[in-house]
Amino acid sequence: MPQKNPLALRPRTLYALALLALFLVAIGDHLTSPVLSSLAAPTELGNACAPCGAPCIEKQPTAD
Amino acid sequence: MPVSSPNSSSSSSLNRPHPAHATGGLSRVVDRPLLLLISCLGIVLAGLAGLDTGVTGLALVGLGMLLGMAFMGFQYGFASGWRRFLETGDGSPLSLHFLLAALCALMFIPVSAAGIGPSGSLAPVSLSLFIGAFMFGTGMQLANGCGSGVLFSFAGGSGRMLVALPFFVIGSVLGSIILPPVLALGSLGQVEIGAGLSGFGKLAVNLALLLSAAALFGWLGARRGFYLSRKMLLATAMIALLCWGVFWVSQHPWGVTFGFTLWGAKIASAIGVPIEDFTFWTWPGPQRALTHSVLSDTSSLMDFAMIIGAGLTAAVTGAFAKSAWPNARQLQAAALGGLLMGIGARLSFGCNIGAFLAGTASGSLHGWIWFALALAGSVLGIRLRARFGF
Repeated sequence: MPQKNPLALRPRTLYALALLALFLVAIGDHLTSPVLSSLAAPTELGNACAPCGAPCIEKQPTAD
Repeated sequence: MPVSSPNSSSSSSLNRPHPAHATGGLSRVVDRPLLLLISCLGIVLAGLAGLDTGVTGLALVGLGMLLGMAFMGFQYGFASGWRRFLETGDGSPLSLHFLLAALCALMFIPVSAAGIGPSGSLAPVSLSLFIGAFMFGTGMQLANGCGSGVLFSFAGGSGRMLVALPFFVIGSVLGSIILPPVLALGSLGQVEIGAGLSGFGKLAVNLALLLSAAALFGWLGARRGFYLSRKMLLATAMIALLCWGVFWVSQHPWGVTFGFTLWGAKIASAIGVPIEDFTFWTWPGPQRALTHSVLSDTSSLMDFAMIIGAGLTAAVTGAFAKSAWPNARQLQAAALGGLLMGIGARLSFGCNIGAFLAGTASGSLHGWIWFALALAGSVLGIRLRARFGF
C-alpha cells in the first residue's frame, strides 16, 4: 500500500528538487573543471581491457 | 519468433493504461511546470555540450534524449521482462533483448573488424564478472529497474528510483574501489567469439548465436501463449538505430553506469574523500574522467541527456501525477538493490546496456556470461522481493 512519505512531499516535488540539484551540481562541476575538446570514454587510454578503463591483468607489471 | 497482432500485449508494461488515455486526452495531462523546467535544463545541457564538444556533443545529447524518450515511451525495461520470464515463462521480452543485440551486432562487429574507427565493447572473463553480474541481477529485481531502467524511471518521477539512483551511485563508487583487488583474483582476459574468423565470419557466428537465443526465448514464450507484440518490435528497431548512432558518433557502444561512477567519485572528492588515490582512479581512463568535467565523458553526458528525454516524455504524458510514494519496505529494497547494482556494475564491467547488450553485440564472451549470471541473480532477487513484501 502506498503511504505518505515522512517529508510530506509528493514524489513529483522531490523529483523536481532532485533533478534541479543534480543538474546544478553538474553545471557547477562543468564550469569549474577543465573540459575536453572532444568527448572521451575511459576505454580509450592506457592498456584498457574493459569499457571502464580497467587494464588487462596479464599485462600488468608484477609487484617486487 | 511468433508475432502477435498490434492489440495483443506480451509485456507487462503494455497492460498499463496510458495516462493520457486514462484521463481523456493528452492536453489534459501535460505537466507544464515540469515540462518547462526539464526543457530549460535540456537547453542548458545541449548548449554547454555544444560549446565544448561541438556537433559531437550535440549529437550525443540528441541521441541520449531520444533513447530516454524511447525507453520511457515504450517502457522498454530489462528487469521486469526478465522477472516475467522467470515467474511466468514468458520469454518474449528476452527474445526482444537478444533481437536488439543482433541488430546492434550488424553494425558493431563488421565496423570494428574493418578498423575504421568505432570499436566494440570487449571486457575480460574474470571472477569479478561472475560475482558482479550475479549481484547486479539480484539488485535489479529488488530495485525494480536496471541501469537504464533506474535512469528513465527516475526521470519519470518514480519515488522508488529517487532512492535507487543515489544508492546506485554510492554502490558504483564502492565497486570502483574494490574492482582492482577482485580483478586480480583471476582473469582469462578478453575472449572474442569467432576471434580467428574474418569480419564476416565473426558476424555470422555471433548473429547465429543471438538469433538462436531470440528464437529460443520467443518459442518458450509462445508455448505459454505469450507472443512478441509489433509495438515492442518497433521499439526494439528504434532503439537499435539509436545504438548505431551512438556507436558511430562516440566511437563506442552505448554505456550507462560509468557515468554514475563518475558522478559519485566527483561528489566523494568534493566532500574530501581522497578518491583519486584509489587504484581504479589512477588508471588513465578513469583518471582523465575524474579530472575533467562531467560533461566531457560520453556515458555521463548521455545519462544526463537520457534523463531529459525521459523526463520530457513523462511530463507530456502526465506520468508524474500518477506517481505514488512507495511504502518503506519497497524503499529499503530500492536502496539495497541500487547498492548491489552499483557494486555489481563496476565488478562486471557494466549493466544490461554496457555489458549484456554491448558485449553480446560486439561478439564478446563476457556479455553472454553476464546474461547467465544476471539471470541467476534475478532468481535470488525475486525471492528477496517476497521478503520485502512485494
